[in-house]
Amino acid sequence: MIRFEQVSKTYRGGHQALQKVNFHIQPGEMAFLTGHSGAGKSTLLKLISILERPSAGGVFINGHDLSKVTAKQIPYVRRDIGMIFQNHRLLKEHTIFDNVALPLVIEGYSLKQIRSRVETALDKVGLLDKQRYYPMMLSGGEQQRVGIARAVVNTPPILLADEPTGNLDPKLSLDIMRLFEDFNKVGTSVLIATHDLGLIARMKYRTLTLKKGRMLSNDALASEDSFA
Amino acid sequence: MSILFGNRNNTGASQRKLSLWQKLIGLVLANIRQWLSALGEIWRDPIPSALTIAVLGVSLTLPATMHVVVKNAQVVEQHWQNAAEISLFLNDGLSSKQLTAFVKQVELNSKVESVELITKNQALTEFENLSGFGDAIKYLDVNPLPNVLIVRPQTDHANARAASLLLESLEQSREVNFGKLDIEWLRRLNAILDMVKDAMSSLTILLFASVVLIVGNTIRLSILSRKEEIEVLKLVGATNSFIHRPFLFTGLWYGLFGGTLAWLTIEVMVYYLSGSINQITSLYQSNFSLTGLSPSEMLVLLLISMTLGLLGSYLVVRKQIKLIEPDAN
Repeated sequence: MIRFEQVSKTYRGGHQALQKVNFHIQPGEMAFLTGHSGAGKSTLLKLISILERPSAGGVFINGHDLSKVTAKQIPYVRRDIGMIFQNHRLLKEHTIFDNVALPLVIEGYSLKQIRSRVETALDKVGLLDKQRYYPMMLSGGEQQRVGIARAVVNTPPILLADEPTGNLDPKLSLDIMRLFEDFNKVGTSVLIATHDLGLIARMKYRTLTLKKGRMLSNDALASEDSFA
Repeated sequence: MSILFGNRNNTGASQRKLSLWQKLIGLVLANIRQWLSALGEIWRDPIPSALTIAVLGVSLTLPATMHVVVKNAQVVEQHWQNAAEISLFLNDGLSSKQLTAFVKQVELNSKVESVELITKNQALTEFENLSGFGDAIKYLDVNPLPNVLIVRPQTDHANARAASLLLESLEQSREVNFGKLDIEWLRRLNAILDMVKDAMSSLTILLFASVVLIVGNTIRLSILSRKEEIEVLKLVGATNSFIHRPFLFTGLWYGLFGGTLAWLTIEVMVYYLSGSINQITSLYQSNFSLTGLSPSEMLVLLLISMTLGLLGSYLVVRKQIKLIEPDAN
């Protein structure tokens, strides 16, 4: 589903964020991406959502080479990837409903479809009763769940999360992780970047570890021949 | 439309198969919704928007006012054109019988409205009274002034061309020494009006350019203040044209409001001025009244201002939106 081949990324100024990274996340797989701050987790996620382009190597999603995606096509690629951010990235001047509806409005869904899908997504994260609220009226955990609802509302095949539990206490963090598990169970590929090792240990999923831009425990290439 | 997942078939995808007609309706509705939500954005941030609209209003009022001035001046000019007079200086040595016959003959010409004879004696008296050379004239043996026949042409022969044709035909007469069409000053007025019009068009271009720049700058600031929102939109897969649209609509609204303000200003000015204008025209015993913008001119004004607003935002939006790139942090 998501395949990196010898990917390196050097930022302008010479900082080497990633060096020859290889891995492959299978369709429907859930995996953790871990490492210290500055190990290259965010860069790796940015390469998948084409927020950055690799300096060398190839990134493939569902067998498509992302280097062949033109600037005009990038928005359509991002519609296939649900992204969740540590600081939620909600629009403060819009209601929870409007925030979650955003991806659907962009794709031109009808109002009726938008309503039913947003309600489904909000129900899933347990915030259906707060759809008329504004983000500032919610707690951090609730805001994160709104971010998740927005990421899954158009049922993308891939979910990326960058430190989704960064600001949450362990109990809330586990709740969020259970949500990701639920989405994974219906076939969504999920990649979660986190440095919360305790949380990872509690859940039995593959862990990709980055250290200074290099992939340490890489068992992804073992299943190289079976990608879609 | 999914590039990476050609067979992305979830429930939404199957529902999304819409007919062309449904898509078209959806597009129109979405545009109307965005047009209205752009109005909401203006409303949410009223002070800078109001200032921008006020500046636009002033910038648009100036050329529109000049248009009104020229329009009314043309009406006045037409009014004066009808007052064109031909002065015929008659030959010396006509007997009074010949003189009366000639006056009668001219008066019967179908192109002539009325005639007035100023005899050489009348002219001399008038000259003595008005010029202050009365004493000097007494030293002259003979009256040097000719008999003059003032001819006022019919209304449809009063314009510059027709009047000069009439003058030519009257000059053919034996009794006429030469004729003079008192229309030079009208030509000068025409030339001045033309100059005013030219000056107006160049000034109009400048003011229109300022409207484009003002809208562009306001939109640029509003894009910068909504940078975060634009980043989020880009992150969730909005195309650039989707992000452009509300700003383009905002430009359109600015144009509409600015144009409306300009129109209202002109109406107020016309109302304010019409009192004093009426006083002047009543002194001149004329029935001229100041006219403002006609409905079609108002429509043109609004169309122009909306086009300028759209242009201003279009020029800025394309570049600014491209510059904002999201960052996953």
